[in-house]
Amino acid sequence: MGVIEETFAGHEVSRASLDNCVKCTICETVCPVAKANPLFTGPKYNGPQAERYRDGASVDHSLEWCDFCGICTLNCPQGVKIGELNEQAAAKMKAQNGVPLRDRIIPETNLEGMLLSPLAPVANWGLGIRPLRVVIEKVIKIHRDAPMPTAHTETLAKWLKHRTRTDIKPTKGPVVFFQGCAGGYFETETSKKSIEVLEHLGYEVFVPKQSCCGLAKQSNGLFKGATKDILNLCDNLLKFDNEIPVVSSSGSCIGMVKHEAHEIIGVDDPRLANVSVRSRDFCEFLMEEYRAGRLDPSEFRELDLTVPYHQPCQVKSQGMGFPAVQLMELIPGVKVVESNEPCCGMAGTYGLKAERYETAQKIGEKVFEHMQNYNEGVGVCDTETCRWQIAKSSGVKIVHPVWLLHHALGLSDNLLS
Amino acid sequence: MTATAIPTTATWAGAQPHVVVIGAGIAGLTAALRLRQAGARVTQITKGIGGIQLGQGSIDILGYAPDRVERPLDAIAGFAAANPAHPYAKIGADAVRAGVSFLKDAAGEDLAGGDAEQNVNLPTAVGAVRPTALVPASMAAGALHDGMKLVIIGVAQLKDFHPMLIAQNLSRTTLPDGGHVTARAVMTDFEPRRNEYDATGLTFARSLDDPRTRRTFAEGLKGFVNEGETVGLPAILGEEDHEAAFAEISQIIGAPVFEIPALPPCVPGMRLNEKLVKAVKDARVEFILGTKVTGHTGADGRLVSVTTSVAGHRREITADAFVLAAGGFESGALKLDSHGHVSDTVLGLPVKLPEGIDEDHLVTDTYWGAPQPLFQVGVEVDDSMKVVSDGAPVYDNVYAAGGVIAGATRWQEKSGEGIALGSAVKAADAILAALPVVAATAAAPFAERN
Repeated sequence: MGVIEETFAGHEVSRASLDNCVKCTICETVCPVAKANPLFTGPKYNGPQAERYRDGASVDHSLEWCDFCGICTLNCPQGVKIGELNEQAAAKMKAQNGVPLRDRIIPETNLEGMLLSPLAPVANWGLGIRPLRVVIEKVIKIHRDAPMPTAHTETLAKWLKHRTRTDIKPTKGPVVFFQGCAGGYFETETSKKSIEVLEHLGYEVFVPKQSCCGLAKQSNGLFKGATKDILNLCDNLLKFDNEIPVVSSSGSCIGMVKHEAHEIIGVDDPRLANVSVRSRDFCEFLMEEYRAGRLDPSEFRELDLTVPYHQPCQVKSQGMGFPAVQLMELIPGVKVVESNEPCCGMAGTYGLKAERYETAQKIGEKVFEHMQNYNEGVGVCDTETCRWQIAKSSGVKIVHPVWLLHHALGLSDNLLS
Repeated sequence: MTATAIPTTATWAGAQPHVVVIGAGIAGLTAALRLRQAGARVTQITKGIGGIQLGQGSIDILGYAPDRVERPLDAIAGFAAANPAHPYAKIGADAVRAGVSFLKDAAGEDLAGGDAEQNVNLPTAVGAVRPTALVPASMAAGALHDGMKLVIIGVAQLKDFHPMLIAQNLSRTTLPDGGHVTARAVMTDFEPRRNEYDATGLTFARSLDDPRTRRTFAEGLKGFVNEGETVGLPAILGEEDHEAAFAEISQIIGAPVFEIPALPPCVPGMRLNEKLVKAVKDARVEFILGTKVTGHTGADGRLVSVTTSVAGHRREITADAFVLAAGGFESGALKLDSHGHVSDTVLGLPVKLPEGIDEDHLVTDTYWGAPQPLFQVGVEVDDSMKVVSDGAPVYDNVYAAGGVIAGATRWQEKSGEGIALGSAVKAADAILAALPVVAATAAAPFAERN
């Protein structure tokens, strides 16, 4: 049980909130899992109600269906930490009952990036082979149809070394760009565009040595490893600086830094406190700059485009409204149609798992339809695994909001490349 | 790309909001939408989903004053004159009328039907008779009248809906006009999802969104209905596809059908809430869910900014005006501590106790007696809904709407939505009159895109 107890101060905070529950059922009505799968008894039962009876691991395994999207906490008018309670209880259950091999492999995102990138063509080819995917499904239980990232031989670090720098002199302050594992190895294009946009707008962008935030470990119940990862990341970032804003286009990883590591795992460390308060989601950062009068939308060229947009659950839970919608609509001609849906079903890594795949697809059904109904060639979403999920299941090309900005600033001729 | 994009109206994302609205119940949503439609930039902050979806989906204006009210809008003036400390004394009937008509435009006739001049009497989930003013189309056929023949049909797998209780209570009840109805009960059997028992109304409503499922359901009910009967069903007739579900189920049954709302999750309340929240978001109110107001700054008699707790840091939002529409005790906006002290937890505004009552006497021990004075506690407002204390504004730019306003026992009077709508309209209009907003900057409605 040591795994949990060492890092579980956050649990007492969540438990203290459960008496605020008035049983109003609002969490039940917004829960995407309970809607898709009757085997999940819902956030109210599993959260504040079951928590009263838990002492050690839960005996109720219906909790395993929870995808930890946090939509319950987001919508709770009474401030009950429903999602946090459930994620903590699930971690306890795993610590007691054992963690499947698969759930130990998936969260090694940094390692995967480091191993797959040099072998990118082979890795991508391998992950595209159906019989191999069937074998993977049988052996480690990652669903054969689940979306897989595309590895690139040119990692972000390599690109940064070899790129031709623009000659724009920084006119605004410095920022640290936090790439996230996917942004460093798999979706490097989004990271490159983010850096180029920030530089074009006059920021001096630094990409210091960094590492995994531990989010995938956290959502797989591996709290000890996740704690090590997040503090390691903080150490890396603090080696560079302890004041300037940390900006990221990895919408969920930055959420881990901002609040999840503290509120879910209970990491209570001055290093994390320092980094978390200056961490900003990419769109959130630019909207702050806009409100402060430091971003001039007249720099954007017109883009006659309607885009369907889905805000991922882990971005919603950051409680900042819809900065991506606001930012994209600063581009003349852009109209954003928001999905009004809670979750695409991926929820980090949930949708990859063989036994969760069907539920995850059902959860995301309306998001996929939304993208199909409103796209004019492209849809938008803030986080990597959600984009992979939505793109695969809807057949629509899905990009980060920065792709529109990059194009509107004249940094790319084609929006989609 | 194609030319189908609506021309952008990025005015909503201007430098700072003109108005911050705190809360997203019926008062907050109404105020935010009215302000936005008039061209103001609005930021709306809410801790969670507002109270609409915990209600029954109908709109009360005045049900008891204290006797049963027939014409609620006409009754407001007299009721206010007799109760000068009541919010209606400040709001007035005209603002409630304006609020009703604004809501009907925003929600549509299907979710907010009727003209609110005349109260209708609807059966409750325990077979009592409740007066209410605006009624969703799916409840209209439930308006009780003398000689009405009812069959109340329940479903065994649905929790918290008891047709025999409803039918027997209705049968023994004398209607306000002295009339009587006859009602009988039928219990049926229908699984919303395979093997699912003790399901909520929401689970049923979602299953009946599916055309095939609802046809099977309605075909099964048809045989239980006798000639001349009106059919009362639990409020489960579709959620996202409610309009079509209600029409098709009514048509298959071949008799007038109405919904009876029961415990939360209450689907009619959800439908109205979702419609209004979407309207607010589509109009480009900056809608911030899951965030609490944790602080504020003021200067020179004005509120300058509120601070919200965003994940990981705080965001300070400055605005020209602020609307407190966060509700009362039930939402946590008002708090009673163990010393009997009541406070506003959002902006720390002074609260007003009922006339002649001190903190030691806010709760009486007569459970069935007069209304508890505690529930009349709230903030005091002037005729423009500006928050005042001892007759003077607390801040020159802070207004209140809805359940936080002192002086009402809303559930007993059945006045909650009327107070919310009237005060939201009054607050919004007072703010607009003082704002440098011109109608030309108003956003085109986006609703048709979604």
